[in-house]
Amino acid sequence: MSLDQIFTKLEESLSKSPFKLIEPLVEATHTFLLTPGKATRRGPHVRDNIDLKRYMFMVIVALLPVIIMGMYNIGRQTGISDFWLAIWKGALVMMPVVIVSYAVGAFWESIFAKIRGHVINEGLLVTGILFPLTLPPTIPLWQVAIGISFGIVIGKEVFGGTGMNLLNPALTARAFLFFTYPGNMSGDSVWAAVDGFSTATPLATAAAATGNAVDALHASPLHYTLNNMFTGFIPGSMGETSTLAILIGAAILIILGIGSWRIMLATALGGFGMASLVHWLAGPTATGMLSLPPVYQLVMGGFMFGTVFMTTDPVSAAGTNTGKWIYGILIGVMAILIRTFNPAYPEGMMLAILFGNVFSPLIDHFVVQANIKRRLRRV
Amino acid sequence: MGQFKVKRGYNLPLEGSPEGKLVVVPQPKQVAVQATDFRNLRPQMKVEPGDHVKIGSVLFTDKKQPYVKFLAPAAGKVNDVVRGDRRRILRVVIDVETSNESVEFPRYTDTQIKTLERAQVINALVEGGMWPALRQRPFSNIADLDKPPKAIFISGLDTAPLAADPNFYMKELKADFQTGVLALQRLTGGKVHLTTAPDNNDSFKEITGVEHHTITGPHPAGNISVQVYYIDRLHSGEVIWYISPFDTARIGQLLKNGRYPNETIVAITGAPIEKRHYIKTLAGAPMASFLPQNLSDNVHRILSGTILSGTHASLEGFIGFYDHTVTAIPEVLKKRFLGWMDPGFNLPSYGSTFLSSLLKNKKFVQNTDLNGDERAFVATGSYEKVMPMDILPVNLAKAVLIEDVELMEQLGILEVAPEDFALCTYICPSKIEFGEIIEHGLTLIEKEG
Repeated sequence: MSLDQIFTKLEESLSKSPFKLIEPLVEATHTFLLTPGKATRRGPHVRDNIDLKRYMFMVIVALLPVIIMGMYNIGRQTGISDFWLAIWKGALVMMPVVIVSYAVGAFWESIFAKIRGHVINEGLLVTGILFPLTLPPTIPLWQVAIGISFGIVIGKEVFGGTGMNLLNPALTARAFLFFTYPGNMSGDSVWAAVDGFSTATPLATAAAATGNAVDALHASPLHYTLNNMFTGFIPGSMGETSTLAILIGAAILIILGIGSWRIMLATALGGFGMASLVHWLAGPTATGMLSLPPVYQLVMGGFMFGTVFMTTDPVSAAGTNTGKWIYGILIGVMAILIRTFNPAYPEGMMLAILFGNVFSPLIDHFVVQANIKRRLRRV
Repeated sequence: MGQFKVKRGYNLPLEGSPEGKLVVVPQPKQVAVQATDFRNLRPQMKVEPGDHVKIGSVLFTDKKQPYVKFLAPAAGKVNDVVRGDRRRILRVVIDVETSNESVEFPRYTDTQIKTLERAQVINALVEGGMWPALRQRPFSNIADLDKPPKAIFISGLDTAPLAADPNFYMKELKADFQTGVLALQRLTGGKVHLTTAPDNNDSFKEITGVEHHTITGPHPAGNISVQVYYIDRLHSGEVIWYISPFDTARIGQLLKNGRYPNETIVAITGAPIEKRHYIKTLAGAPMASFLPQNLSDNVHRILSGTILSGTHASLEGFIGFYDHTVTAIPEVLKKRFLGWMDPGFNLPSYGSTFLSSLLKNKKFVQNTDLNGDERAFVATGSYEKVMPMDILPVNLAKAVLIEDVELMEQLGILEVAPEDFALCTYICPSKIEFGEIIEHGLTLIEKEG
């Protein structure tokens, strides 16, 4: 019996058994191992080799530098200096979070797939890894489970599943944890996987600075220079610290044509422009966030991770090309505004992207209306 | 006269284009006229199985436009009127006899045609069975003679993958084509537009009475919608007609010879066929009469038309009325292990997620594998890159899915045909059937008309 036959049999017998809720999971595994092999019904009679599996797989390929740097950094923060040992230590911290995220996510996806009578969508492959990368390494696993449940169910499935969701499910999950368990998601003691270790993140340091923020960053115990923050050897969420690794990921996404360069560039420009503006308006005597040079804003916190991996989610982003520019700029501007003017949330990126998600249908609406007007003008 | 450069689009890197050689094949034993070749046609039968027909005898007419006649391309006996679901008439099959007896129609010289009234030309084309060759936009139905077109378009290039090259098969038909153009001029108060490639257009260069345009760029540059978009856009309420260069030449033959022109030229293409060239045979000839023996319906898909918008004819099928390309492609026969992880040197893709994208000039053999499964819309943003018109493919498709007729029209559905979305469908990772969706939208609008 071939692998294909085994799976077909298993699916058949499951659909009649009390365990039919896991049938979508088996089906997903089946098409994961073997291509569906379906033929085209009508023209075009041949089709591109890309499908959503390949698409999502490529996003994960682009995330690999971030994941590896994240693991290394987690290990390094615990005081291990050997490269491979640090990665091993980091993997021991990160992998359980990733596994819980995928497992609980797959559970919900399977239930909804069965109820709705469709197959499990590949979007989970990306959501399930993006979410852990936005979490601090000390996150309790049960919170990971609750967070991803909220993200998948409320962030995605209540809207009708992948493709219909308004918000980025991974960010919805993170936002939920952020507001529900702030003690585990923010503060000074959650960022290194070492008990009793406490340190302010660069963003918190800059926000709290009573004088020039750059001086405060340099004076911090972990020595937050621009260089350190760019390479990512600083405490922070598991995947967001290394701007370098994120930029490698961005290059992969853009070269493969998977992530929208328009959105990434627009978000970075929006952020840089707004940061320049507030920095300039605040003048040379400013303190705290306002005293940060614009480049610092871009490498600190989750700005770059959000720009490259979160804003570009094709479902929750604006879909039209013009819309993508507006959407990106809006997010960049909002992120800096929240950071500088709302001391309660030194990390503005998450809220800015969710804000952008909510507005993207409206942005697209205006772009579509413009298309209609162009056509009417010709009549 | 215009020179147009289409920038957005894509040429599929496929193996199997035909060589420039014309072979006359033995006369087929059967021919068929297929009602399914014509959009929205409801045939009114004029013959029964067993009837004897001449070349040019009326086989059926259109119930909606009763003046539109469909003529027999061969003399012989009606073998069968094939019906499908709900007794819908699919085609009339004729057993060909060698007599070559033909219905006689009036003959005209070129000078006479120039002085004919519009109504006289219409009458000649309608009676002579060439009216169905004229189609109109919006909707791609057979031209409605009560709605005069603002212009008539003839596309002298076909940019679809592996398609027959009009410049090649029109080589011997220049004079007939010229006569056909004279007749077309009488049908419209506007212009007759002829588009060709800037080079490879010897068959069309000397034609007079047309507006010559050259158009370059990847597929769908050869599509009528795209050419109308560039040359003379369709505004609300306007109609254009279009016709292929070959059918224009057939109109010329009809008017000159007074006989229904029953020959066609098709290119036989596609990787599974070894000897790929052009053949001359009867219009509506059976596939099996000219395709090589090594093909089989289980292993190959035989298309009348191109890979992008041809119809699945099978070996028992016949050449479609409008088609000059017959394509064979391998059927998908096996599932691939961990296909999504394949480095993909042999897997062509519009994007760059397979290593095949590094092999710039390589041609590939593609089978009918959907290469995935249908999923929800994930707007990956590539669709615009293969849509050369100012049309938002995703938004238009969504307007159709929610059946918002007004919005579809606002987004330009009347300027397009399903074939214009073939590349959107091709590149879609969610395997959305754009063409089917657009067709559904057009049908909805016609119904609410």
